[in-house]
Amino acid sequence: MGASVFGLVTAFELDRTGATREIFFNVQQPWAVYVMLSVLTGLMVYGIGRHATLWAIGQPTPGLREQITKRLTHFVRLGLAQEKIRRDRYAGIMHWCIFSSIVVLTFVTAQVAIDDDLGLHFLKGPYYLFFSFYGDLFGVVGLVGVGMALYRRYFDDFHRIRWAERLEDHLIIWGLGVILLSGFALETLRITADELHQHPDWAPWSFASYGLALGLDMFKFEEHQLLAAHTWVWWGHLVAAMGWLGLIVFTKLDHIFFAPINAYLLRTDSPGRLTKIENIEEREVFGVGQIQDFTWKQLFELDACVRCGRCTAVCPANIAGQPLSPMHLIQDLKLHLADVGPAVQKAGHEGHDVRAVSPLAMVGEVIKDETLWACRTCGACVQECPVMIEHVPTIVDMRRYLVMDEARVPATAQAALENLEQRGHPWRGTTFTRTTWMEGLGDVPIFDGSQEYLYWVGCSGSLVERNLPVTQSVFKLLREAGTSFGVLGQEETCNGDPARRLGNEYLYQILAQQLVETFKSKNVQRVITNCPHCFNTFKNEYPQFDGNFEVLHHTEFLAQALQGGKLKAAHPVASDVTYHDSCYLGRLNGVYDAPRQILDFIPGTNVTEMKRNMSRGLCCGAGGGNMWQEEVGARRVNHVRTEEAVETGATSVISNCPFCIQMFEDGIPAVQPQEEGRMRAFDIAELLDKAVFGEPAPRS
Amino acid sequence: MHLVICAKQIPDPETPPSAFKIDSNAVVPAAGISPVLSPFDAQAAEAALRLKESAGDTKVTVISMGKESAQAAIKQVLAMGADEGVLLNDDAFEGGDSYTTAKVLAAAIRKLGDVDAVFCGRQAADWDMGQVGLGIAEDLGWPCAIVAKDVQLDGSALVVQRVLTDGFETVKEPLPAVVTVSNELGDPRYPKLQQIMQAAKKTVTTWGTGDLGLDASGVGAAGSKLKLVGLAQPQSGGAVQIIEGETPEEQAQGLVQALRDARII
Repeated sequence: MGASVFGLVTAFELDRTGATREIFFNVQQPWAVYVMLSVLTGLMVYGIGRHATLWAIGQPTPGLREQITKRLTHFVRLGLAQEKIRRDRYAGIMHWCIFSSIVVLTFVTAQVAIDDDLGLHFLKGPYYLFFSFYGDLFGVVGLVGVGMALYRRYFDDFHRIRWAERLEDHLIIWGLGVILLSGFALETLRITADELHQHPDWAPWSFASYGLALGLDMFKFEEHQLLAAHTWVWWGHLVAAMGWLGLIVFTKLDHIFFAPINAYLLRTDSPGRLTKIENIEEREVFGVGQIQDFTWKQLFELDACVRCGRCTAVCPANIAGQPLSPMHLIQDLKLHLADVGPAVQKAGHEGHDVRAVSPLAMVGEVIKDETLWACRTCGACVQECPVMIEHVPTIVDMRRYLVMDEARVPATAQAALENLEQRGHPWRGTTFTRTTWMEGLGDVPIFDGSQEYLYWVGCSGSLVERNLPVTQSVFKLLREAGTSFGVLGQEETCNGDPARRLGNEYLYQILAQQLVETFKSKNVQRVITNCPHCFNTFKNEYPQFDGNFEVLHHTEFLAQALQGGKLKAAHPVASDVTYHDSCYLGRLNGVYDAPRQILDFIPGTNVTEMKRNMSRGLCCGAGGGNMWQEEVGARRVNHVRTEEAVETGATSVISNCPFCIQMFEDGIPAVQPQEEGRMRAFDIAELLDKAVFGEPAPRS
Repeated sequence: MHLVICAKQIPDPETPPSAFKIDSNAVVPAAGISPVLSPFDAQAAEAALRLKESAGDTKVTVISMGKESAQAAIKQVLAMGADEGVLLNDDAFEGGDSYTTAKVLAAAIRKLGDVDAVFCGRQAADWDMGQVGLGIAEDLGWPCAIVAKDVQLDGSALVVQRVLTDGFETVKEPLPAVVTVSNELGDPRYPKLQQIMQAAKKTVTTWGTGDLGLDASGVGAAGSKLKLVGLAQPQSGGAVQIIEGETPEEQAQGLVQALRDARII
């Protein structure tokens, strides 16, 4: 660094106009570079072409020509500016070092070529010196990145990047190290042989190489020895660089191209929305049971995966030791595509039955049933993926195949689905009716179109014992705030969310269409829901059925009522609490602030966040229809999450979702076997109920 | 082979008891309770379909006596894999008992002609009488094995495992025969969507008294042998008894004693 400061100071005092160097200094066959580049280009075209023929066996991807501005924004922010990579700070710095170094040094190399081969000779004078400086600077930056990568790969405790390690991972990073170091070796040899003695005022601009050259100079090699070494290193550097570039289309390095493109292809609507199967009654195949039934975008993104393991590291199923790793799922599909893709493509081309090609069943053998069922649809994997892979829709597509095409459903999930079909709610064996919660609350207004809001109680809110008090609290708070609202009572039926998450799109569509009709016939405009799953369904999915309503979760409505002074939280509720973001309110719909604002309004309540919170929050374990499934694996997700809540030292865990509350209620006795001092789980409305009315929230 | 499944549509047995009221010896279900296929009949269908799969070249017909809405129960069994459906619908059938129901179903089975075996649920989950299967067998003069947990074909006979209180017994009955199936058989299959859609498109034949050659005076309320005398809603309540004891072993012994005293074990 001393050398560079010296260089900066002295350079401006000296005559700089003559500074330059002979390009391809000392090298006899510079044209060889272009031969190699042509071969490389050919290789890349071949490699990408090979990928493209595989993507092409997929189905059309709708909507890619819509929302161009948003797609371009994704391309720039997520693809080029790499916003998601920074969610892991170490990796963010490391990747930026390597990325910027490759970009700048490619630019440096290109300038050298243009300067010489087009005969422009612009690398002279002050720009040449600056060029020397930033070339060296980004060489150093690149080495820092490579050093960080090597440390993580070899010295960090068993790191997620080693969960699916391959030879190419070692080759790529060592190759990059060799290229950068040989680049410095070249510069050092050239400067020692030439600049150091002939233009000692220019040399310090290449600050790192200059420092090395000063060292090398002490050995007093003959000039011809230095030049001979320079030739060898030059060829070594060239071959390493070309070889490394050649790796791009055959290794995970292809993410250089595929990640930004995948950012463009990324969905522009809410991550909480699943795709609608159009004209479902006319189809012969409903889900995705074979690789060619995916859209080509779903096949494309398999190739973008770099096996970084971020998805798997945040996956609640994986954290609990259950049989799902989103990374391995994507990788298994990618290998399966490579295995059967060419044969499928050939069969399709020759007009044969493409369905008869694969010797393995994709769903069942390549991807196990229990893997698909373990998914919570919580979206953590999608949120973290730095190359914008959307795992959840792919998993749900295969679930659709299991349920609708194969009728292969775990018994408990099947019971929930049959219950939805026959009884319009998923809670088999409930002893409550949709009006039980109304007892003792006085007049409960039935929605007739004259009120402003429909208060949607939901199946859990009316049929599950633990959730009844929550419904009652929300009701009392709405009434207290002077809200114009009504409920549907006996006329409520499930909006279909569990069916859709469990893969029964057909049943979902029947339920959704019925309810959209009911809402329209009753002139429903605005809906307040108890349950984030109902909230997500109405808000993000009903527009697919021409049902456009203004939808608020009760936390949003209550936060507004407190801010507008319609509710006064006058009674202190002395407690240490921690707040759990439900996935369907938080990560999938971005509502993080409203519930925390409510907690701020409640006097005496002290909030400690869990180690995983907000967009990094961990699912309670119930999402994706897992409320109605037996968990398979080492641990239960709700026990893991309950432990995290207990670690905060809080006496209550507060959430906003009937499933989360049930999961905590189930997890707490397992984590805290002693009844004394046990944590309790409440909905935020129950807490606010205490603060507004000054009475203990009703609790069974 | 030709198998027949008898399926009954009943008010949802999982409806909370509080949703029902009794009005002058008739049960009045609350609004919004959906009619469903009696769960034991779904198991009967499962047993017949398993037999169809193992025997091959078998036709399965589902018949139901009930109102027009019972089409839904028939369609559900068709979706599971039955080939044809027949609805026995006639105003004259209303208000009958197990005797008249068995009579009507037996007439339909006779009309179908070439039936080899009849599968019923062990009982309908609304009135829980468990008589219709036996009644059909009596009417047709066929053997009947009740409360089956497994049914296999052995030449021209059925080998049936029957559930007993302390185990099971295996019986063999020559075809044609009747079997009533219990829940121990296992969960009924979940139909594929393709099958649900095919079932939705199938036409269900409807037969009335005329088609079956029955006299209206011998069926329904007119032909019933059973007279309903009274109905009462059971009172439910709870009480807590704390079992004392120095050690967990003592507490467990106390609990066992209390359960014995209450004749629960």
